[in-house]
Amino acid sequence: MANLTLEHVTKRYEDVTAVDDMNLDIDDGEFICLVGPSGCGKSTTMETIAGLTKPTEGTITIGDRDVTSLPPKDRGVAMVFQNIALFPHMDVYENISFGLRLRDYDQEEIDRRVEHATDVVQLEGMLDRMPEEMSGGQRQRVAIARAIVREPDVFLMDEPLANLDAKLRVHMRTELQRLHKELDTTIIYVTHDQAEAMTMSDRIAVIDGGELQQIDPPLVCYNEPANLFVAGFIGSPSMNLLRGKLTANGVETDDFSLDIDVDGVPGASAGDDVTVGIRPEDVYPTDTQGAISTPSDPIEVTTDVLEPMGDQIFVYLTFDETSSQTMTGDATGSDQLLMSVDPDRDIAEDEQMEVVFDRTKVHLFDNASGDALVHGVEDLTSSGFETRVPESHSGEGDE
Amino acid sequence: MATIDGSNDSTESEGGPLARWTKSVIEDQEKRDRLYRALFIVAAGFFLVTTLFPFYWLLVLALTPTSQILTGDWSLPIIGVEFPHPQGFNVYAFVEMFEQVPFHLFMFNSFVLAISTTVIVLAVATLAGYVFGRLEFPGRGVLMLVVLMISYFPPAAFLVPLFDAFLGNAVVIPFLGIELFESPRLVNTPASMVLPFSALFLPLAIFILTTFYAQIPDGLEDAARVEGTTRLGALVRVIMPLSAPGLATAAVLTFITVYNEYFFSSIMALENSPENWSPLLGGILSYQTQYTTEFNLMAAASIVGVLPIVIIVIVAQERIVSGLTAGGLKE
Repeated sequence: MANLTLEHVTKRYEDVTAVDDMNLDIDDGEFICLVGPSGCGKSTTMETIAGLTKPTEGTITIGDRDVTSLPPKDRGVAMVFQNIALFPHMDVYENISFGLRLRDYDQEEIDRRVEHATDVVQLEGMLDRMPEEMSGGQRQRVAIARAIVREPDVFLMDEPLANLDAKLRVHMRTELQRLHKELDTTIIYVTHDQAEAMTMSDRIAVIDGGELQQIDPPLVCYNEPANLFVAGFIGSPSMNLLRGKLTANGVETDDFSLDIDVDGVPGASAGDDVTVGIRPEDVYPTDTQGAISTPSDPIEVTTDVLEPMGDQIFVYLTFDETSSQTMTGDATGSDQLLMSVDPDRDIAEDEQMEVVFDRTKVHLFDNASGDALVHGVEDLTSSGFETRVPESHSGEGDE
Repeated sequence: MATIDGSNDSTESEGGPLARWTKSVIEDQEKRDRLYRALFIVAAGFFLVTTLFPFYWLLVLALTPTSQILTGDWSLPIIGVEFPHPQGFNVYAFVEMFEQVPFHLFMFNSFVLAISTTVIVLAVATLAGYVFGRLEFPGRGVLMLVVLMISYFPPAAFLVPLFDAFLGNAVVIPFLGIELFESPRLVNTPASMVLPFSALFLPLAIFILTTFYAQIPDGLEDAARVEGTTRLGALVRVIMPLSAPGLATAAVLTFITVYNEYFFSSIMALENSPENWSPLLGGILSYQTQYTTEFNLMAAASIVGVLPIVIIVIVAQERIVSGLTAGGLKE
């Protein structure tokens, strides 16, 4: 068990920079998820920690040891791979004890540890099976047991659940959380599935384009995303992002306006291009706006497509006065609004209605930098504002 | 062809026997199976006869006394047709061959040459195969091509310069006369044969192992390295065991070719004697003197010499097949 520090870790290949100036400070016993889209550099980051690739620049420290140039075997890390990577020519016992046998532990110790590890992952009585005779979930347990027996300082897990079917994946997710509680070891977990990251980790490190976007507890990432990327990536379905402009009176988009005191928005002034972010669950039909204390002015919309999920209904809304110029398929701006409503609500397609936003849950992002300006605009109409201004430590590299 | 076509045409139009038979074969499953079985037996029989007949002939020659081989009557009893068959039953040839020539020493030489070449080839080709199959570096394709090009040259092309060098002469740059180095005198030693054999068989072995090693998923090697091996350790403990069929193929091919080799060794061993590391074939040829040729002993020696190979092939084949079926490199 140990803490793990990455300082200015950069990995450049001939033509691409896979990891760009990554700084991570991970505490002892923490469960950290590295999350991001495919090719964002999260796996490369993991490989540099494991020692499978050498960073071009930067230092990696595990405990108090600088391990940057140590080979994988001397780093005190154990890894669970996406493709499980059990040795097909060895049975379960040989697979699990592989690392111990290499390190010349005596037979008694090996047996004791293997027994404990198989106990933890519930694999008793399967020690003489070959990997090919086992199911996906069982193989994954063997891979985890192989990592446990080494009693490593840091666990690395590279999308260990990606190859499992949906049901097993959810099951293994809770198993891993239980495991973390039991072992209390630092775990670095790579995934592209933000739901996995949200449910399991103590903190989420959101990575995009090789750069760390934000590292915070799951709910902070969810409620106070540091920038447009995090806002769009964390949460499913993702946050509504609507392009607009700051004016003296507030935010004007093509479809609606929000009454905001611009002076209360730090680092921005009238005339700036901004994006309004609002999560589907923070959009309310006007008849239920009593549930919130700080509704925005009503916005006229028409329902488009309904997606009943059972526990809620996702409603795609189009703005009534949609002007044709906004119909550009921009990634960060859309003239569609997604709302989630109570499953019992009687709602039909092509229905005209009015919706309001929960002003405490409205996010403003600067279009130029993508950084969050402010989370919650409830107090910005009066003079005595007190808003949650994003902290500058939240990971943007361009400050 | 013309006549067959013609008869076929005529029978077809009249519904003759060939057309009727063809039709029945096409329609009748049982008849078709019988035809396939017959064709299989004919094809397999032909293959077996052509392969095994030389061995039969060797056995015939070994069991027949020398005098009978040259003057004997090869007609089969009763039928009278000439066909090779043992004239008598002279098992003593298998003892006599060891009395006349120290054949076991020649066999020993061949074994030593074949085993040491195989070991060298596998050791070097494994490392090279790992590099070519699993590492990315600029110029990999070109380098691989250069290695393969060596195997395009006929071995004889290397013989004269190698022989000259192994005699202990200085290696000189042609035309310029600049002396590069002086080779130790290697003729009549195993080194003079093992070195060229290794060089000649390396490209093929490298090629085989490169393709096998390249197929091992990266994850397995990474897993081994994280678990506590070096790259070399991962090669030995994970990649090589999983490539066992490839290793066996490379090893068997190299071993058999060197064991049967004669061209280089007949020249590098200045005389056909076991002390000069003359191989098996040199031994077989030493039953031939200026005035006599002991065909029966040569045949007996050939059979004895070939037995180890037969055993190795049978064992290795089982290994290779089991390795292939046990496979399961599925991730």
